[in-house]
Amino acid sequence: MQVTVRPRVSLLGLTVAIVLADSSVVTIALPDILARFDVEIATLAWVLTAYNLALALAAVPAAFVARRRPVPVFGVGVVVFAAASLSCALAPSFDVLVAARAVQGVAGAAVVCSALDLLTGATGDDATAARTWALAGVLGAAIGPAVGGILTQLLGWESIFVVQVPLLLVALLALRGAVAPRIPEPAERPHIAANLALLLVSAALVAALFLLVLLLINGWRIDPLAAGLIVTVMPLAAIVAARYSRRIPSPWVRAASGTILIAGGLAALGWLPHAGALWTVPPQIAVGAGLGLALSALTERALAGRSAQAVHGGWTIAARHAGVVLGLVLLTPIFTADLERNEKDALAAGTAAVVDSHISPLQKLGVARDILVAVDDAKSEARIPDVSDIVGTQDDAHADLASKLQEQLDRAATNTASRSFLAAALIALCALVPIVVGRRDMSV
Amino acid sequence: MRAIAFSTAAAAALVLVYLALGGASYAPAKAADPCTPRDWREPKGVQAVAEQIVLSGIDGAACKLGVSREDVVLAFGSRAALERFAREHGVTPTGLERLVRTGIDRAITDAVEAGVLNPSVAQLIRGLASRIPVGDVIDLLDRFLGQ
Repeated sequence: MQVTVRPRVSLLGLTVAIVLADSSVVTIALPDILARFDVEIATLAWVLTAYNLALALAAVPAAFVARRRPVPVFGVGVVVFAAASLSCALAPSFDVLVAARAVQGVAGAAVVCSALDLLTGATGDDATAARTWALAGVLGAAIGPAVGGILTQLLGWESIFVVQVPLLLVALLALRGAVAPRIPEPAERPHIAANLALLLVSAALVAALFLLVLLLINGWRIDPLAAGLIVTVMPLAAIVAARYSRRIPSPWVRAASGTILIAGGLAALGWLPHAGALWTVPPQIAVGAGLGLALSALTERALAGRSAQAVHGGWTIAARHAGVVLGLVLLTPIFTADLERNEKDALAAGTAAVVDSHISPLQKLGVARDILVAVDDAKSEARIPDVSDIVGTQDDAHADLASKLQEQLDRAATNTASRSFLAAALIALCALVPIVVGRRDMSV
Repeated sequence: MRAIAFSTAAAAALVLVYLALGGASYAPAKAADPCTPRDWREPKGVQAVAEQIVLSGIDGAACKLGVSREDVVLAFGSRAALERFAREHGVTPTGLERLVRTGIDRAITDAVEAGVLNPSVAQLIRGLASRIPVGDVIDLLDRFLGQ
């Protein structure tokens, strides 16, 4: 039985989207993973870093192998990726989970690079294949946190990895009757400007794809399902922007416009005027639209007119995921330092609220003690406590104190992410340098 | 190029609106300056008057040490916190107690002058404040509140 062109393209696109969604899919599940394995918060980041680092390092070598034999590389890659996903779900220890994530990254590199050549074979056209592959990658990256959040809430974090297995095995059907394109020799030089811009844009997007989710769930105490739904604004905006992006013929204009929108959206997230999911919607629309414009334009430019496609696809994957690792490396220390500072400031502001409240002095001492205990407990689970449960709302004075304390905690949580978002906006603006410098090379 | 101009305008408008709504200052409230006298609230009962006097005394100690009132309040949360605070600010726990007692003494005078405290009650509180062993009170509260 042979698979016709359209289903084959859809299956290949789905596989690319799943592999690239895995970069950010576990973000919402991190607190649950922390609860399952007793590790430090800094160590927990290896669930994200291991995957992205392995994908970045393996992408170019995998692409060189994939260009020669894309069909078996795709098949083996998908099977190993599925097996590694299952190992993640069943991991008995944190070390096994991180190791399985690294294997996922290496197998994922083989899958996405070979998928590009298979898409060329299926569509018979390099440009269409590059566009489909880039769009699948953008959607995968953008939709990852939302899908992860929904699955974590409904079925537990392990389900994120389990549901991938049958989907990936179905995707193997794309290999039936697949034709590998002719292999041109030798591979050309990678497109430096487009890949450098991809690296910087991806580093900036770490804040939108990872930090925003942490702010919603751990900072503002929104449950993972609702947080997952809130962050779907970004992929929806990306889909709409990608759909209309062809109206802007020049790829460098699309890349520059998208990067400016990403920088603006991130800066607005850094300067949120209040805590609350609704305030994140306009910045998410800007970041999502920017992502839809910039990532696809830069990926297409990095691939256009260059052979072999798989090798240059490998370079874009390496650039994007090296960018994710760079973003994690640059933004984590800023976030950690701000977390410590805001913790101190919130404690002082909370103490002032208790001291100045209208409850009796002895009740003040009791409330202060209970809050300190709750904050310590919540710290070990990396979340902000719900103080209204602790203070109680038995009379106006208690209700007023609870609301003032919650306000200070919300301010502290929002402010903790602020400088990281602003730093990410700055990184996005830096991506304009290679885009502008390489604009002649990026023009149609 | 129109797309770049449109994106720049949209991004700038979004950022400016968020800044205009107070985005740059949305952070935990800053601690008040302990060296600036606070207004006396309408105290209801001796307990409330005593509380304000103690807080005013803590303000005095905080002002001398160059820290916030909240830092001193948190330092009196437990013996361990008191010792840590004293170490960090180069005073002994006894020195810190002495600073608070001096502040309380001054706050009592202020309260009498403001007419919220009867001079004979003031004398009683002054006597208590100078004798109560703060460390023992902290331990007592620890046991009481820990139950």
